[in-house]
Amino acid sequence: MKDFEKVGKPRQRDASRRTFLKTAAAGVGALAGVPGAAKAFDIEAFFQKHFRELSDADVQDTLRRLEEQYSRRFDKPVHVQATGPIDGVVYGYGLDISRCIGCRRCVYACVDENNQSRDPEIHWIRVLEFEREKAIRGIDLEDGNPYYDHEKVPAEGMIYLPIQCQQCEDSPCTNVCPTGATWREPDGIVVIDYDWCIGCRYCMASCPYGARHFNWTEPELSADQVNPDTHILGNRPRPKGVVEKCTFCIQRVRNGRYPACVEACPVGARKFGNLLDPNSEIRYLLDHKRTFVLKAELKTRPKFFYFYG
Amino acid sequence: MQRNPADGGVPIGYRAETWAFLGAAFVAVLLLFSIRCAHGPQTARAYPSRGLAPEPQPVLLAPPPMDDEFFPCSDCHEDEPTDRTVRKLEDEHDELELAHGTTWCLDCHDADQRDQLHLADANRIGFEESWRLCTQCHGAKLADWRAGVHGKRTGNWWGPKEYWSCVACHDPHSPRFAPLEPMRRPIRPEEIRLAAPSGQENAHEGL
Repeated sequence: MKDFEKVGKPRQRDASRRTFLKTAAAGVGALAGVPGAAKAFDIEAFFQKHFRELSDADVQDTLRRLEEQYSRRFDKPVHVQATGPIDGVVYGYGLDISRCIGCRRCVYACVDENNQSRDPEIHWIRVLEFEREKAIRGIDLEDGNPYYDHEKVPAEGMIYLPIQCQQCEDSPCTNVCPTGATWREPDGIVVIDYDWCIGCRYCMASCPYGARHFNWTEPELSADQVNPDTHILGNRPRPKGVVEKCTFCIQRVRNGRYPACVEACPVGARKFGNLLDPNSEIRYLLDHKRTFVLKAELKTRPKFFYFYG
Repeated sequence: MQRNPADGGVPIGYRAETWAFLGAAFVAVLLLFSIRCAHGPQTARAYPSRGLAPEPQPVLLAPPPMDDEFFPCSDCHEDEPTDRTVRKLEDEHDELELAHGTTWCLDCHDADQRDQLHLADANRIGFEESWRLCTQCHGAKLADWRAGVHGKRTGNWWGPKEYWSCVACHDPHSPRFAPLEPMRRPIRPEEIRLAAPSGQENAHEGL
């Protein structure tokens, strides 16, 4: 039981632990007689504690380690931040389905911003196409077609409904995670600790919105594609074998900026703001527009609201 | 103690299989232990407290610049007599598709001050203030636009932001958006081909 008690002990202990691990790593490398052995297998990363158990100093160490690793990989400076939530802020998102024309500008703005794998490609946003005549009698997400391929959109008689992570208040994905690698932050963003994700994909099975995506192979991302402004719980380059999802662009919104998809939308259908601020855009639309959430009957309580403008 | 004659009399309790079993059991206990450890913390991380600074007023994004070929209007219209009859334009501006209700040029453009627009109350305004003209009819949109719910805003949800004026997105002569070419559709799962080890092709198909 000693190991459990160590959690949360003063930082001096961690420092000596780190020193020990570094020495051990060097020792392993020397023993193996391969110069690059210690580099290829990063023992510090292997014994990395859960993000929520890291001391501030540990977080800083981890950020430096990741920055070094990514900067080496992409041969240019990559910044990794761990910016925390803002007091009194819970994020909410609004999407005007009377305006969306299905152009997919948001999908690729998201890919560029969030460093998704280009091959095999991963999209955090899927734009579903429905036949209007069918949809007005009630939308069944199973009928949605994300693979539409028209010359011009909106196509005659079709409506469009983009789906991404709904940042549920009662999120099934965080409840089923066996390692606690995904959780809801105080500002409502559901995040993933990629170092603790074991790739079991329970969360993907539990998500009613298909919002989570798995890196089946080493994600392909070139140096000219990488967005060097990253967050440790968000858009930093992911390894193979972990799950990823929309974080409302955590690296942007925690610094006050709009998510990339909001800025990319050519028809202004995407709205974003602080649910706790009565003067925010998101509160205005909740107060004045007809809004709905997807699969309300599941009581996941999404913070992603669709509305008719 | 029972002895096994096949092993030359080594007691069964000390045979290699027994040690292997004990070793495996030890590893299993360690594994269970590590799984228990691996179950993440149940407490939230103690983030440093961080509040919001007062927010500056949003900035109205300047409308797109007027076309040099047509503006200032007075360059041509100064010398022309004004014909106020509602008609289809044939000699000039015939490329304009007027698809905006039943409006006619001089409902918005001022006939006497050619480089200005006029409101319904005959007050003249500059082109850069055209949103005041639009919202005379589209009053509900004005309220939504002011709140940031109609139209587009860029920049910061909290902090400096620009909001786009009506004519930044809509062509006032034909305000409905023209259809647009969609970006590339996602790959279907059955189209995925995993990269084969060098020298082979299509190691796995249809993942």
